[in-house]
Amino acid sequence: MIDRRQLFAGAASASAVVASTLKWQSAEAAEKLMADVPSQAGALAGKYPRGVIGRMPRLGSLHTEGQYDFSVGFRVTAARAASKASSAAFTRLLEREGVDPASQMTAEEVRQLIQKDPEITLANKVWLTNQRMMWKAIADHHHANEDYYLSQMEAADNVGPGKLELAPNMDVPAECRHEIHIQPGGYVGDAFAGHIYHHGTNSFFIGTRAHNEQDEIHKSAANALPIPADGKVRRINIYGCGPGQLTVALKERFPDAEVWGTEIGGPMIRYGHMRANNLNVGANFAQRNATDQKFPDGYFDIVTSFLAHHEMPAATTLKVIEETNRLTRRGGVYYPIDFNTAGGPTLTPQGMFGLWQDHRWNGEIWRLEYSAMDFTAEIGKRGFKHMKDTPPVLRGFGARHFVRV
Amino acid sequence: MATPAKTRQTYTVEAIPKNLTEGAFLGDPSIDRMMSCMIAIGTELWATQYRLKVMEAVMATKGITNESIEQYMPSAAQVADWERDRDRFVDLTFGALGDDAHLPAYAPYPKS
Repeated sequence: MIDRRQLFAGAASASAVVASTLKWQSAEAAEKLMADVPSQAGALAGKYPRGVIGRMPRLGSLHTEGQYDFSVGFRVTAARAASKASSAAFTRLLEREGVDPASQMTAEEVRQLIQKDPEITLANKVWLTNQRMMWKAIADHHHANEDYYLSQMEAADNVGPGKLELAPNMDVPAECRHEIHIQPGGYVGDAFAGHIYHHGTNSFFIGTRAHNEQDEIHKSAANALPIPADGKVRRINIYGCGPGQLTVALKERFPDAEVWGTEIGGPMIRYGHMRANNLNVGANFAQRNATDQKFPDGYFDIVTSFLAHHEMPAATTLKVIEETNRLTRRGGVYYPIDFNTAGGPTLTPQGMFGLWQDHRWNGEIWRLEYSAMDFTAEIGKRGFKHMKDTPPVLRGFGARHFVRV
Repeated sequence: MATPAKTRQTYTVEAIPKNLTEGAFLGDPSIDRMMSCMIAIGTELWATQYRLKVMEAVMATKGITNESIEQYMPSAAQVADWERDRDRFVDLTFGALGDDAHLPAYAPYPKS
């Protein structure tokens, strides 16, 4: 158990763990990566029981760190191997069934296909089990030390530089209370949702995209985000901000701007505020529903979000666009960052197979709805002009640079 | 899983659970359970190895090198002690290999 007195203990040296954490890379690559990480251990001293690596808190116990480390290794080796095997089995199944791999299928057609060969779901099984173990390991540690971690947040709630506005009596709609990504408690039901999500998604990002322990992906997105043509960036809104990584990255890019991260998950945004303050980044956070953000009309120069829309019903996405139209000043930029959408209810068999599994078993409740709509076109129908020549801020995501008309 | 904290403000609301454990992906629920257990064992095993690596690294800073650990010669008493521990471990983890499992679950109660 972590003693509260450890709140004031010095930050630990982390070089050994850094080397271990990066062990699947070459030593040269690991050294380069760490050279690029400005250590914030001094500023963050005493904030976390086992110190930090750069700006990332180390997990609170060595055993939990080892469990987490396994989850990373499993994703980059075993899960990929299983994925290859399942994919090959799926291809054989298509051949047996006489299905053209380039044809289009609905989710229901894919579901019928899955029933014919359990071999093809091996990858899904092992990936999900690893995901489940990872969440459990991180959650168990925080629950076992709840007094310590709650005390940290309580001490930070009313401390700056950034503000925090929580709404304990808020009516959180059922559509926002699902256990997305099978994270226990989801974004709203566990006091440590932010802690758990922040650590766990690092493993996810390494397994699917790149390292993000130092907010590399969020910083990349923030730095590529287009600004209004008149160059004025006084206020920025990031809705569905989760633990606030893009919010922090945008405040770092625009230190003089008033930056608001909003999120319906109270524990998530509470953690985000504490983390930003620990980094001495003066971003503000408020517990709000993205469909009703409470800010004045035309308040923001830039409105954005990060992977929020595929976690909400399509009808809610349309309401959020309307609310964003209200919040964005004329000439202001709207750029929601999220996956590309298919714009229809069908995909190739392999594409729909992956999408359906994610939807059905990984808690991506609204992923099929999201994929089926033409998100980019829907924004264009609601008072925004699409700047089609702007490349996507992140590879593989939709190019959705819009200007409020 | 609801947060265990009950007496302090946590700003939580009840989540809608995702019942992953109801899924049987591999054609036989028993195989699913075994696979889940194997990944859990792997998680714990690596966490233990990870700790050992840290211990070796810490010991090295105190002058106890990995080489000295490799070259360490246990006493006869230690060997006997560790063999008992090893046998207990193997019995626990692989003892089921000796199960004479041949009756289906619906087999009638044996006559005395």
